[in-house]
Amino acid sequence: MRPLLTLLVALPLAAQVRYEDLVAGPGKNWLTYFGDYGGRRHSPLSQITPENIQYLAPRWTYHIDGSRKLEATPLVLDGVMYMTASNEVHALDARTGRRIWLYRDEQAKALKVNRGVALLGDRVFFVTGDAYLVALDRRTGGLLWSQPFADPKLGYGATLAPLALRDRVIVGVSGGDGGVRGYLDAYSAATGERLWRFYTVPGKGEPGSESWSDFPAEWAGGATWMTGTYDPDLNLLYWATGNPWPDLWGKPRRGENLYTCSVVALHPDTGKLEWHFQFTPHDTHDWDAQSIPVLADLEYQGRPRKLLLHPNRNGFFYLLDRTNGQYLRATPFVDKLDWAKGIDDRGRPILVPGKEPTPAGVRACPSMRGASNWMSPSYSPATGLFYVPSLEQCDLYVTSEKIPAAGKGIMGGGGEPLSREPGQFFLRALDPQTGKRVWEVPMTGPGTMWSGTVSTAGGLVFYGDDDGQLIAADARHGRQLWHYYMGQALTASPMTFQVDGKQYVTIAAATDVFTFGLVEGR
Amino acid sequence: MSSLIFRRTFLYALAVLCGGIGLAADAGQALFATACGACHGTTGEGGRGPNIADGRLVRRLTDDDMFRSIQKGVPGTEMAAFPFPDDQIRQLVAYFRSLSAPAFEADVPGDPEAGAALFYGKAGCTGCHAIAGRGGLLGPDLSSIGLQRPLRRLREAVLEPSARLTDGFLPVTVTTTDGRRISGVAKNYTNYSLQLLDDQGRLHLLRQSEWRAVEFSRESPMPADYARRLSGAELDNLMAFLSRQAAARRN
Repeated sequence: MRPLLTLLVALPLAAQVRYEDLVAGPGKNWLTYFGDYGGRRHSPLSQITPENIQYLAPRWTYHIDGSRKLEATPLVLDGVMYMTASNEVHALDARTGRRIWLYRDEQAKALKVNRGVALLGDRVFFVTGDAYLVALDRRTGGLLWSQPFADPKLGYGATLAPLALRDRVIVGVSGGDGGVRGYLDAYSAATGERLWRFYTVPGKGEPGSESWSDFPAEWAGGATWMTGTYDPDLNLLYWATGNPWPDLWGKPRRGENLYTCSVVALHPDTGKLEWHFQFTPHDTHDWDAQSIPVLADLEYQGRPRKLLLHPNRNGFFYLLDRTNGQYLRATPFVDKLDWAKGIDDRGRPILVPGKEPTPAGVRACPSMRGASNWMSPSYSPATGLFYVPSLEQCDLYVTSEKIPAAGKGIMGGGGEPLSREPGQFFLRALDPQTGKRVWEVPMTGPGTMWSGTVSTAGGLVFYGDDDGQLIAADARHGRQLWHYYMGQALTASPMTFQVDGKQYVTIAAATDVFTFGLVEGR
Repeated sequence: MSSLIFRRTFLYALAVLCGGIGLAADAGQALFATACGACHGTTGEGGRGPNIADGRLVRRLTDDDMFRSIQKGVPGTEMAAFPFPDDQIRQLVAYFRSLSAPAFEADVPGDPEAGAALFYGKAGCTGCHAIAGRGGLLGPDLSSIGLQRPLRRLREAVLEPSARLTDGFLPVTVTTTDGRRISGVAKNYTNYSLQLLDDQGRLHLLRQSEWRAVEFSRESPMPADYARRLSGAELDNLMAFLSRQAAARRN
C-alpha cells in the first residue's frame, strides 16, 4: 500500500484550470470565490460528517505579516492554495501551509482589503487596492501583465476576487460611498486588453437616467465591489450593485436611482444589459445589494425554475426568475425590519413613512451594516436549505443634508449604533420554497463579523461566528457539533477541499489562515 | 537679458541643490557607518536591525517618518533615539534614499535595446528568468526587477550570482522513497516538507515520509563567468535593459 500511496502524492502537479473545470464546480478543488459559478458554496465532499467531526483538528496556521483584516476565500488547485492579502498573493502547499511563492505589489498606492484570486489556465488573477488587475503565472507568481481599470484619484479602489470565464476576467470597482460612478469591466485573460465596460449608472439621456433628476452620473455610486455569479447555460452574469450617493442624503437625487441597489444581468460577451431588478429604489440607508446573487435550480410553486436567491441588506429574502428578472417573492429574514411593511406584487417595497435619515437621527431597522451583507450564504441541494448569516440590529440614521466633496469617501451622514440595542448575529436556515426560517443558531459577540458559510455533502454547514470561532452545525437541524476558537475576529468565509484523499476546511481569520482536517487514523 | 540671468541663476541654484543632495548623502554615509552600522549592518543590509538598503522599508516611509524614527526612536522596538543635530539627521535620510533607490530611478549608462538582445539571446538569461511570461521558471521573475533592486545589486547578481541566493530558488535534488530523482529549486524546505519546482515547471509538494534524500547546492545555477563572457559595454547594456523592467510601475 505504502509505495502506491507515495507515488500518488508525489505526482507532479501540472494541470491547468479549464473553463469546464470552473463550470463543473467544486470537488476536491475549490476554483472560484464561491467554489462554483452559481454562488452556492456547497461542496460535494463528504468525508467529514456529523459522526466524525469530533476528530476535526487544526492542521496548520499560516500567518500573513502586516495583515489586519483578511477577507479572502482561498482557492485550491491540486494541492496548491492561493490566498490574498492587501496587494499580495500567497501560494501555499495546502497540506502543510508552507509558502511556495509570494507576489507583493509594492508599487500599489492603496492598502485595501482583498477577497481573493481567480484562476484560469496557468494564470492567477487578482486586483490591487488601487484598482490594477494583475495576471500572474500560477507556478511561480511571475508577473504576466498589470492593467489599471479605475482611477484612485477619483475615489475608486478595488477589493473583489475577479471572476474568470472562458477567455476573460470580470472585475468591478469600490468607492461608491465616496461619489464615484460604478462600472463592471471585462479584460482579455491573455493580454489584459479591455473588452467592454458596463456603467451601473446610465449616462445623460440613456434609459434609466430619468430616475436621477439630473444628478451627475459620475458621482452617483452603484459600485460593483463584490464578485458576481454566472450561469453558463443562460450565458448571463449576475452582478449586485451598491448604494446611490450621497448614501444618506437622497434629496438631490430624486427618483429610483437606477441601477443602484440592484442586481443586473449582463451578457459576458458584450456587457449588454439583459435585465435588472432593483431591491431598494432610492436607497437612503446605505443598503448596497452586495449580498450574493445565488443561482439555484429548484421547484417553485410546482414547477422547476431557474431561480436567483438573494438575502438583501434591507432585510428581505428575494426570489427572482433569473432567466428574465421576474420578481417571485420576498419574505423578511430578520425581525428587526421597520422601514417597509412588505414587498408588493411588482417587487417594490411598501414604505413606512418617517424612516428617512434626518439631521437629528431616525431609528430604523435593519442597521446600515444590513440584515446580511457580503458574507457568503450557502445553498445545499441535499437539504434544500439556504444558510444565511443574519444580523438583528437597528441604527440611528443621520443625514448631513448636503452633498459632500466627491471622491473623498464621505457618505453624507451615517448609521449610528444604538447603545441600548446591541446587534446580534444568527445563522439562519431558510427554505427557499416558502421563505420560512427552518432553524437558527444565535451567536454571541459584538455584532461586527463579516464571516460566511460553506455547506457540504457530509451533512454539515461550517460558518465563522461573531466571536472568532469556526463552527460546524448539522445542516438539517442546526445542532452545533464542533467549534474552534481562533482568537481573532472573522472577516472571511470558510471553504473546503481535498488533497490526497483527505478533506480539509479552511478559513482566514484577521491575520492568519487556519486549516483543519481529521486527525490521522480517523 | 534678464531672463538669461534668471536662467543662469536658476541653473546654478539647481546645481548647488543637486550637489548638496549628493554631498548630504556622502556625509550621511560617514555618519551611518559610526552610528547605525552596528545594528543595520555596515552596508545597510541589516543585522540586529532591519535591512534599509533593499528599499522595502525605506520606500514605505516619508523623509519625515525617517527623520522622526532617528530622532525619537521607534517605540516598541530596539531602535533607540539618536538626537543628532537636524542637519545630520537629514544627511542620514538622504543617504538611506540614495542607498535604496531602485535601479529604475538610477542614471544607467548603456543601450537598453542592445541589452534586450543580450537578455533574449547570447547571454541566455531566458533559460531561467522570465519577463512578462517570456522565459524560464527556475530563476526569479524579472518583470519588475528595475523597481525591486538598486543598480549595484543587479550588477552583483549578474557578476557574482552565488554571493547571495534568493529565497525560493535554492537548487535541490530529491530522491523519493520510490526511487525517483527530481531536480529543481526549493520553493520552501523544512525538516517536514519540501515544495519543489522542477525544470518542467511542475510543482512537487513532498512530505518527509515521501523522500529518502534531499541534496541542496549552495552554488547558484546561474553561470558565474559573465564577467568574462560580457564586455564592459555589454554589461552596461544589460544593466540598462534590466533597470528599465518595471511592469508593476504606476503612471
